[in-house]
Amino acid sequence: MREVVVALAGNPNVGKTALINSLTGAKLKVGNWPGVTVEKKEVFLKYKDTNITFVDLPGIYSLTPFSVEERIARDFLINSKIDAIVNVVDSTNIERNLYLTTQLAQLAEFGIPILLVLNFWDEVRKKGIKINTELIESVLGVKCIPAVAVDGTGVDTILEILVSGNLKTPKPITFSEDLERLVKRVEEDLRSFFKDRCPYPVRWAAVKVVENDEEVTEALGKLGFDASSYRAEAEEIERLKGEDIATIFAEERYSFISGLVREAVKRPYERRMEITDVLDAIFMHRVLGLPIFLLLMYLVFKLTFDGSAPFIDWVDGLINGFIAKWCSYLINLAGLPEWLRSLLIDGVLQGVGLVLSFVPLMLFLYFFLAVLEETGYMARAAFVMDRLMHSVGLHGKSFIPLVIGFRCNVPAILATRTLERERDRKLTALLVPFMSCGARLPIYALFTGVFFKKHQAEVVLLLYLMGVLVSLAVGVILRKTVLKGESPPFIMELPPYRFPTWKMLWNSIWMRTKAFVHKAGTVIALSMVILWLFTNLPFGTSPENSLLGKFSREVAVVFKPAGFGNSWQAVAALIPGTIAKEVVVGALGQLYGVEEESASEKPTEFADDLRQQIKGFFLACRDSFYSMFGSVKVGVFEMEEENTGIATKIAADFSPLSAFSYMVFCLLWIPCIVTLGAYYREFGWSTVGIAILITTVVPWIISTLIYNLGVVFGFH
Amino acid sequence: MKLSEAKVGRTYKISKVLGPPVFVLRLKEMGITAGEKVQVLRKAPLGGPVEVKVKGYCVSLRRDEAEMVKLVPEGCER
Ligand SMILES: Nc1nc2c(ncn2[C@@H]2O[C@H](COP(=O)(O)OP(=O)(O)OP(=O)(O)O)[C@@H](O)[C@H]2O)c(=O)[nH]1
Ligand SMILES: [Mg+2]
Repeated sequence: MREVVVALAGNPNVGKTALINSLTGAKLKVGNWPGVTVEKKEVFLKYKDTNITFVDLPGIYSLTPFSVEERIARDFLINSKIDAIVNVVDSTNIERNLYLTTQLAQLAEFGIPILLVLNFWDEVRKKGIKINTELIESVLGVKCIPAVAVDGTGVDTILEILVSGNLKTPKPITFSEDLERLVKRVEEDLRSFFKDRCPYPVRWAAVKVVENDEEVTEALGKLGFDASSYRAEAEEIERLKGEDIATIFAEERYSFISGLVREAVKRPYERRMEITDVLDAIFMHRVLGLPIFLLLMYLVFKLTFDGSAPFIDWVDGLINGFIAKWCSYLINLAGLPEWLRSLLIDGVLQGVGLVLSFVPLMLFLYFFLAVLEETGYMARAAFVMDRLMHSVGLHGKSFIPLVIGFRCNVPAILATRTLERERDRKLTALLVPFMSCGARLPIYALFTGVFFKKHQAEVVLLLYLMGVLVSLAVGVILRKTVLKGESPPFIMELPPYRFPTWKMLWNSIWMRTKAFVHKAGTVIALSMVILWLFTNLPFGTSPENSLLGKFSREVAVVFKPAGFGNSWQAVAALIPGTIAKEVVVGALGQLYGVEEESASEKPTEFADDLRQQIKGFFLACRDSFYSMFGSVKVGVFEMEEENTGIATKIAADFSPLSAFSYMVFCLLWIPCIVTLGAYYREFGWSTVGIAILITTVVPWIISTLIYNLGVVFGFH
Repeated sequence: MKLSEAKVGRTYKISKVLGPPVFVLRLKEMGITAGEKVQVLRKAPLGGPVEVKVKGYCVSLRRDEAEMVKLVPEGCER
C-alpha cells in the first residue's frame, strides 16, 4: 500500500475545501467568503492501492504570511513532507491566482510536484472565457485539470493522476538578469554552507534572503549563515529600479504571468451588469445597506420562529406525550426501583427532551445562516459594518467572526485568525461571547413563548442587537484600556454572489444539527444526571432543601437587583449553564418539572399512538408552511396552545420584565466551557481569565440596569 | 489623485502605491499595483471602505488605505 500526502494550496475562496469534500466525501465547512478555513485539516482516502492524506489549508495569496491562518498554511507548505501539491485556482481570475503558483514552483527544490486545478470551470464556460490549458501546461511545466468542485467534475481525473504518480515538478521562473544572478549566488552559498541540510527549500530561501525577509534571515543567522552580506547588492538593484526589492520580485512575477495570461486566456468583452453588480447595488447601498442588513436578520428570526413552531410542538408532544409515556410504562413493567425511574424520566428525559424539542428551531436557524454564508452576503456585511466596527478600532473583517458567532462562538473565536494583528484578534475574540449563538435560542424560545407570544421574532432580534451593542461598548472600553492601538488596514476580497447548491446547504445543516443532537445525548444528558443528583441530595428531601436548592437560594440574593432572584430554579439553572447554554433549558425543564405527577395512565395501543404522532408530523409541515409564507394565520394552533406544565410555572415565577432580564443575562453570561477552551488554545490562560471576568460582570450590570429601568418606566 | 478621491463608476490607472513596504507588498500580491487598471465600484458612506474592481475581481479597501493608492485617469467613462 502506497502512502501519499497531498496538500491543497490556493488563494482564499477558490474552492479548496469544496474540492476536498468532492474528492473524499468529507463534509468540511465551505462558505462563499475568503477565510473560511482557518485550520489545517486532514482527510484520508483509500483510492485503488493508495492511501491518500489530503491536507486542507487556509487560503493564501502568497508565501509571505500576514495573519495567523496564512502562517499555518505557509509553514505547512515549507516545513512538511508533502508528496504533491494540488494548487487550486479560480479560473475566472487566473492572473491573480497564478501569482501563488509561481511561488509554489520555488518549492520544487524539494521535488514537490504540482497539479494545477482550474476550478470554477462552470463559471468560465458561462462567462465564455476561453482558456488554453495546453499552453499553461507547457509554460509552467505542470499538469492542468479543469474542475467544478461543487458537482465533482474533474475529480476522477485528479485522483487518477495523483495515484498514478504521473506528476510534474514545475519550472521556477527566472528573474531579470541582475536579480537572477544574485539569487543564484545565494542559492550556491546556501548549498555549499548547508550541504543537503538547508532548513528551507533552497531557491525559496535564496529569494527570501535577497528580499531581506526578517524571519528567514534571522533563522538562517541562528544556524550560522550570514545573510546580511547580500544587502549591498540588493540595495543597488533597489536604487536602479527605484523600488523595494520585495516589490521588484512581485512585479517580475506578475509580468511573467501577465505575459502568459495574455496568450492563454481569451475573455469576451465584459457585459455591463452582472448579477453581482445588481445585487451589490442593493445590499451595499450607501444608505440602505445597514437597514437591509437588519431586515435580513429580522427575516431570519421571523422565518425561523414561524417555521419551526409547529414542529417544536410536535417534537415536544412526541417526547413528553409519547416517548415519556412508553418509557414509564416499560420501566414499570421491568419493575425498576423508583429512584431510577425518577432519574431517567424526571432527570434525564425531562431535561434532554426539552432541549431536543428545539431541534426544529436549530434546523431552521442553521438553514438560513447557511444561505447567508453560501451566497456571499457575509463579505458584504463586513463592508457595510466597517464603519461601525471602526468606532471600536476594529475593521469590517472583524465582523465576520462576530457573525459566525451567531451560529456558534467556538468557530467564531478560531475565525479571528484571519485578522492581521494579535491585538485585534484578541479584542475581536473577547467580543464574540456577546454574539448570541444558536444554543441560546432555545432559552429565548422558551421564555418568549410564554411572555411575548405575539412578538417572538421582534424580541429575539432585540436581544441579538443588544448583544451587538454591548459588544461594541465593551470593545470601546477594552480598546481604551487594555488593548490599545490603531485601527488596522482593511483589504478584503469580495466574492461574486453564488447560488448555493442544495448539497452544500444540506451538508452544513446536517453537520450542525447532528452536533446539536449529539451534544444533547452526551454533555447535556450527563449534566442532567449530575443536576438530578444535587437536587435529590440528601436523599428524600424536597428539591428546595436539596444541596442545589439551598445553594441557589443563597446565591439568588445576588440576582435580586436583576429581577429574577426570587426563583431559585432560575438561578440554579444558570450554574450548569456554564457547561453549555442548552443546559439552562434542560435544567429548567428538570427543576420545574420535578413536582409534576408522573403520567402512569393506562397506555393506549402502541400502534395507534405511533400513527397519531406521524399524522401530527404532517400537520406540522402544513402549518409551518402556512405560518412562514401564508397570510392565513394558523388558528388551530393558537387554540391548542394551552401552556404546558413548565410554561405555567415559568409564568408564575417571572414577570415579562424579569423574564427579559433573565434572557439578557443568559445572552451575555459565559457561553460554555468549550468557548473557554478555545480561548485557552488560541491565547492562553490570561485571556480565559479576562473573558470570564467580562462575561460575568457585564451581564450582571446590564440585566440589573434593564430591570431597574423597566421598573422605573412602569413595565413591571 | 488618490483612490479615496476617485469618482464612482470611473476607471483609472494606478500610478503608485505608497505606505509601509509590507502594505505595498500585500496590495501588490493581490494585484493592486502600478500600471493596473482599477474601476471604482462604490464607496460606503461616512468615510467607509471603497470597493474597486481590479484584475477582474472585487476588493474593498478602507479609506485610509485608499489614500495610499495614487491614480491617473484612464480613458473616458465606461
Ligand atoms: N459554481 C461553483 N462554485 C464553487 C466551485 N467550487 C467551490 N465553489 C463555491 O465557492 C465557495 C468557496 O469554496 P470553499 O471550498 O469554501 O473555498 P476555500 O478555497 O476552501 O476557501 P477558504 O477556506 O476561505 O480559503 C463556496 O461557496 C463553494 O460552494 C465550483 O467549481 N463552481
Ligand atoms: Mg476552505
